[in-house]
Amino acid sequence: MNDTPTTPGYQRRQSVSLLKIDQYAYINRLAHVHPLEKMVLALVTMIICLVFSSPATSLIVILSMAGMAILLARIPASFFLKLMLAPVAFLLLSVLTVAFVWVKDPAGLLWGFNVGCYTVGVTSRGLITAGDLFLKSLGAVACLYFLSLTTPMVDILSVLKALRLPPLFIELMSLVYRFIFVLLDTADKIYTSQASRWGYATMKTSYSSLGQLVSNLFTKAGRNYQMLYTTLTSRCYTGELNVLESSHVLSRKNLFLIILFEAALLLASMHLAGFLTPFAGGAGS
Amino acid sequence: MKDKPILETRGLGFSYVDGTQALVDVDLAIPAGKKIAFLGPNGAGKTTLFLHFNGLIRPDRGKVYFAGQEVRYDHASLLELRKKVGVVFQDPETQLFSASVRQEISFGPLNLGLPREAVLQRVHKAMQDTGILELQDRPTHFLSYGQKKRVAIADILAMQPEVLICDEPTAWLDVKHAGQIMDLLTEINGEGVTVIISTHDVDLAYSWADYIFIMKSGKVIGEATPECIFYNRQLLEEAELQRPWLLDLYEELQRKGWVSAGLPPKNIREFLRSIRDKEPA
Ligand SMILES: Nc1ncnc2c1ncn2[C@@H]1O[C@H](COP(=O)(O)OP(=O)(O)O)[C@@H](O)[C@H]1O
Ligand SMILES: [Mg+2]
Repeated sequence: MNDTPTTPGYQRRQSVSLLKIDQYAYINRLAHVHPLEKMVLALVTMIICLVFSSPATSLIVILSMAGMAILLARIPASFFLKLMLAPVAFLLLSVLTVAFVWVKDPAGLLWGFNVGCYTVGVTSRGLITAGDLFLKSLGAVACLYFLSLTTPMVDILSVLKALRLPPLFIELMSLVYRFIFVLLDTADKIYTSQASRWGYATMKTSYSSLGQLVSNLFTKAGRNYQMLYTTLTSRCYTGELNVLESSHVLSRKNLFLIILFEAALLLASMHLAGFLTPFAGGAGS
Repeated sequence: MKDKPILETRGLGFSYVDGTQALVDVDLAIPAGKKIAFLGPNGAGKTTLFLHFNGLIRPDRGKVYFAGQEVRYDHASLLELRKKVGVVFQDPETQLFSASVRQEISFGPLNLGLPREAVLQRVHKAMQDTGILELQDRPTHFLSYGQKKRVAIADILAMQPEVLICDEPTAWLDVKHAGQIMDLLTEINGEGVTVIISTHDVDLAYSWADYIFIMKSGKVIGEATPECIFYNRQLLEEAELQRPWLLDLYEELQRKGWVSAGLPPKNIREFLRSIRDKEPA
């Protein structure tokens, strides 16, 4: 069967980052690694990054996650960079609100302008906080990207199941995940059919077309759900989505390396934060 | 019909909530172990009938029988019926619920309460029989339409039913992949499974099926072997069906005496043989 997965929809889908992330999750070099290892690595690193909230730690986290995704999982550097840039504009905007203060007395401001009898400006402390926050968020984002680029959702779900999260929660997540793709595909088809009939030619028709697309999508989703229920019932569905779990094996070597990495990150962060001062120098003060 | 019927309906009638009469007084008996085609235009009631065979719809009137037993609608009896009669739905997109091909196929056998080893073995065999072993670690949403169709068939095969029902198996498939699916269904039938399909494609029904039911407006208006049914011109007219082009062509050549005598050919290969076998006059 030399039937390649290249329906027109598939070609178009390639441009959507979400779908591309999902695709890398299945084909990257770390795909066969036990999902628990990757989840522990990503989550512990993220926690360290969030707890220390120091720019140095955040930078180390960003660089190491990017390094692992690019060098170990062989995700193209350009794609990883593109993904990291995606939240930058959003982060900058939200961080700016932290950097700016609203004061009566302009003394101590690095820069500011008057609004009525108040001054809006930035302080050096505000700037530093904003910078910390920015790097910290990017660090956390890098961890999540690492996880989603290297670990298929199916594997993540099977770990959550093994951790005894409520089955209802896991089944919902898995259905939502599956139907995101069905809906995207449906939306894509409706959009194409509308666009081919000049549905997006002017601003006005665009609005009405988009409205129709959304309402259509909901109707279709409803019908899809009904059909799905019928088809599941015909396969003896009795309220639980039982499926075979994938059988990954935990690697001691990987676990050891992960612990080593986290320990090093922790020590470095503590040192940088000043918790760990060398005995000789720090004792006197 | 001398074979014992595996599925039977008597006086079956069903209307949807909006009042559409989808089935009207359907009496039929489906012989076991054969390749069966339900032939009829869109809206004839084929899908509705198949839903009855699986106990997914309860008839308004009449009864359904499986292997001589009346179908009951309590939980346990329905599970038992669904274990023996499997339905592959027309649109694989609505049937595939899991993102992983292997997990998707394991759903049915796990519901049958089989031990893990048996499930693994059945899933493997179903993937092997449908030729999708190399897709087992691919996410379902990156498969082509034809591949999804195969996964949908493997879903049901893994439950090892006695009857495999395939609603419009060739819909939206190109000629090559449609042919592959029909060959697959023939192979499945070769292992003793009764295979039932619905189609509006006269040529497909003629060349593939052992026995054909013709449906129109919720009724079965005719049934026979393909050799017989397409000689019944009145029936074809009533059903608004074309004759298979192969049969028309064969008859024309027979009148001219250009083909050997015998049963009419079912496919191109048989047709060419009947021309070649004819001694030059
Ligand atoms: N869910 C439904 N609700 C209302 N009417 C339906 C539904 N499904 C099918 N029908 C109607 O029932 C009739 C038979 O449909 P169906 O069994 O799908 O035919 P076929 O499969 O032969 O195309 C058609 O008139 C169709 O419009
Ligand atoms: Mg139908």
